[in-house]
Amino acid sequence: MLKAENSLGIIFFPAFDWAISPTHPEREERLLYTQDQLREEGLFDIEGIREYKPEVAETVDIERVHFCFPEAEAIATRSHYISAGGAIKAAELVMQGERDRAFALVRPPGHHAMKTVQGSRGFCAINIEAIMCEHIREKYGHKRIAIIDTDCHHGDGTQDVYWHDPDTLFISMHQDGRTLYPGTGFPKDAGGPKALGRTINIPLPPGTSDAGFMMVMEKIVMPILDDFKPDLIINSAGQDNHFTDPITNMNFSAQGYAALNSMLKPDIAVLEGGYAIQGALPYVNLGISLAMAGVDYSHVREPGWNPITLKEPDDVMKYIGMLCDSIPDIYFNPPKESNEGIINGNWSVRHRTIFYDTEGFTESQTESLLLCDECRGLLKVETQKENGPMGFGIEIPIGACDKCRNTGYSLLEEAQVKSKYRYMQMINRKDKEYMRYGF
Amino acid sequence: MLLLGIDVGGTHTDAVALGPDRIEAQVKVATNHDDLLSSIRNALGEIVRQTDPARIKQLNLSTTLSTNAIVEGKLEDVGVIVSAGPGLDPHSFMTCKDFHVIPGSLDHRGSETKQLNNLALEEAISSCRKSGVKVYAAVTKFSPRNPSHEKAIELAVGDNADFITLGHQITGRLNFPRRIATAFYNCAVWRIFNNFADAISGTLEEMGLGHIKVNILKADGGTMPLPLSRKVPVQSIFSGPAASVMGIIALCKITHDSIIYDIGGTTTDIAIFVGGTPLIEQEGINIGSYPTLVRALKVHSIGVGGDSAISILEGIVRVGPTRLGPSIAFGGKTPTLTDALIWKGSCDCGDIGKSKAGFAVFASKMDIDPEDLADKAIENAINKIHDSTRELVEEINQQPVYTIHELLENRRIVPRKIYMMGGPAKAMKMDIFRKFRLSTEVPENYDVANAIGAALTRTTTEIELFADTERGVMFIPSLGYRENVPRNYKLENAEKDAMNHLLAHLGEMSVAADGANALITSSSSFNMMNGSTTVGRNIRVKCQIKPGVVRTYS
Repeated sequence: MLKAENSLGIIFFPAFDWAISPTHPEREERLLYTQDQLREEGLFDIEGIREYKPEVAETVDIERVHFCFPEAEAIATRSHYISAGGAIKAAELVMQGERDRAFALVRPPGHHAMKTVQGSRGFCAINIEAIMCEHIREKYGHKRIAIIDTDCHHGDGTQDVYWHDPDTLFISMHQDGRTLYPGTGFPKDAGGPKALGRTINIPLPPGTSDAGFMMVMEKIVMPILDDFKPDLIINSAGQDNHFTDPITNMNFSAQGYAALNSMLKPDIAVLEGGYAIQGALPYVNLGISLAMAGVDYSHVREPGWNPITLKEPDDVMKYIGMLCDSIPDIYFNPPKESNEGIINGNWSVRHRTIFYDTEGFTESQTESLLLCDECRGLLKVETQKENGPMGFGIEIPIGACDKCRNTGYSLLEEAQVKSKYRYMQMINRKDKEYMRYGF
Repeated sequence: MLLLGIDVGGTHTDAVALGPDRIEAQVKVATNHDDLLSSIRNALGEIVRQTDPARIKQLNLSTTLSTNAIVEGKLEDVGVIVSAGPGLDPHSFMTCKDFHVIPGSLDHRGSETKQLNNLALEEAISSCRKSGVKVYAAVTKFSPRNPSHEKAIELAVGDNADFITLGHQITGRLNFPRRIATAFYNCAVWRIFNNFADAISGTLEEMGLGHIKVNILKADGGTMPLPLSRKVPVQSIFSGPAASVMGIIALCKITHDSIIYDIGGTTTDIAIFVGGTPLIEQEGINIGSYPTLVRALKVHSIGVGGDSAISILEGIVRVGPTRLGPSIAFGGKTPTLTDALIWKGSCDCGDIGKSKAGFAVFASKMDIDPEDLADKAIENAINKIHDSTRELVEEINQQPVYTIHELLENRRIVPRKIYMMGGPAKAMKMDIFRKFRLSTEVPENYDVANAIGAALTRTTTEIELFADTERGVMFIPSLGYRENVPRNYKLENAEKDAMNHLLAHLGEMSVAADGANALITSSSSFNMMNGSTTVGRNIRVKCQIKPGVVRTYS
């Protein structure tokens, strides 16, 4: 009998009754073949690997992270609540010491969901990794967390949630935004004024294969992780870098994904994208599971895999080499100023329009961070969906100073009096108070 | 007309003859492990003496033959020929020395991604022939989706085999390592089981019972007709605990989440009911060193029973897990849990005086007050049972749960009632009640509930239907059935087909097909896409004859 070197919990939630639309890539069938493959391999019979039920997240878990307008229940379906609950269950298994590591094989995904949520973007409604991380911090104290996003699309949602958080290192490796949705994620985006160098974007050229990804892991990701010394490493494990994926242009393989996770040694992995549901997902998920458990994965091969033809051309490797030379500097010598936001008094302000591609509308948003010398600073968001009602959100961060805390409450009061806003939400992480008005 | 049930247990062989409204005869004889047939013959002889043989219609038999053969390693050499393709290294699942991996592979939809290598196959077979192997198991990865590679192996083996097991015929459920182990065991016990089946038929003829129908009990609480069991003897393993669970169903009206204890001589079997239905092992049962695909009721055994020896180590009184022979009350030497119960006056069996005297001698030797010793021994046994039960319920609540009805999502099991059976059940009832504070019931005839359960269980079977409308095929692996279906084949057609084949299969086994107990346990249909066009549907239907009893005595 096989025995896992690290005990692994797998939370499987295929959401067989939920889809964006019958022909959408993110649909019921997506994890069907993965489930078949894992069952047929007898994965759960390996000593140390166990399957667990997902939990169901609560609205407060969502409202700890997101400003949801009009409200969380209107944006997230029951499947989203269970998907987030699956990630929370993975975290609980690891935090309680029941398992060394955990892998949440859940859908729908979440890494395009931003701090403020008005609907679905990039097949995502709520950010399940962020919900999981903040659940951990609320329950187990403040942890330093590193999130490594290996999805082919830039994790713009996760980047936005943690833009101002110096205790969360977010590294996204993805197909260059000039060639793929969402069109963002460049090295110059390095974090907000209080978290410079805590967001690291690695835009890779189309055609990147195993050697390219492993070079990035060795030369960028691992040295930064060694310095950051996180309490937890999370892999945002999207699988659409695979050479068979229908909506991307990369050449990564199941062997590569397994090797990447062998090197990264994530405490928790959460499934994100990946739409080659027959040719890739069954093998990639098997590879990741085996790598996390420390079981030999050398026999995992997807059909049609040919390392010779998939190999990067020299110019691609050369380009990736250049990235590897320059990007670590963003972490080790962060820029003096954030590339986004203008200073207005003692506030750093960003005006943005955000397009929700899954639902086809635009949100206009003004986000302001109170620049404080004592703490991360108070966050204020004003938002409007198309010409809809105005929403107002205020967040008092973990470890806020008294001044920021009091300012937060007085701004909320002011907002209530002004009655300019239809919806108001307060996230107070310091006192664990979460409030909604006007719903 | 009478229904007979015989349960060959570790310590006793129990037999009952059930009339339409009462138990007409019941017998307990000692099990002779070296000659199970003689135990069965003795029990049958007693029953026939007490009843009119002409009225006997059916015999349901639960036997430990296959289980013992596996546990004691009395297995015939098997030639195991597998083909795996990518994934885990198949050599990790090597069950025996004649184990051969042939290049070739199928994917999760049953498409051939690599041809079976005929040259390697020929070499494997000739190597098995050289070792003198006469039974073969052919198992390929994803064979429930496409059995062609297993059939090719069968063809190649041909006359070299007295018997061959093909993986997909065991079940349509997926799990390659378990399929290997199950096929291997099925071959390894095939000969010993068939010799036994011949002997049983002969014995019945001798006793003038040649006219009765014989069924063999399975681990899922159902039976299979003897002729069918000859092909799938592996299905008869661990049927003892299942017989007990079915007995409780026949004797009690269970509606709540409940705990069932079958307290035997050496072990206590714990089973959990959800809303009146026993839980089933999700994948299959573990036996010997391997997990298998044999469907079974979820029963957890712990080493506490009436004959568990009492020991004192560093002042702590312990019961079990060893059995050092019978209780003092029945002529043994070491005091047991039963002797402790006799001392406390909870139990009245065997030679009471001898038991109490022996118990007191042991206590004084250990320098402990016998009253104290009895209390502590019983407390230790009850605690063991209590803790194991808690762990079991906790574990079940952590995982996706299946009952013989269906998958239960997000349902927490909260036991409200306890049912107890087996020899010491009545004596321990009050102690269990005090510990759990849950309503505790010991049914009448608790000591032969297992044989009653055996007598009353129904013939069960389960099949999986799998259809892929893009390829235009519909396929029922365990029946080896395959047909072409049109592109517009839908879930409702599949459900109807599955039910028809299930009932027809029962007909073939000459079992009166009872549509009322046939049910679909899961069915799903997924649109398969290519780009953004629907190219077909992937349909899966599972249905079964639900395990149950033909009548109840509650």
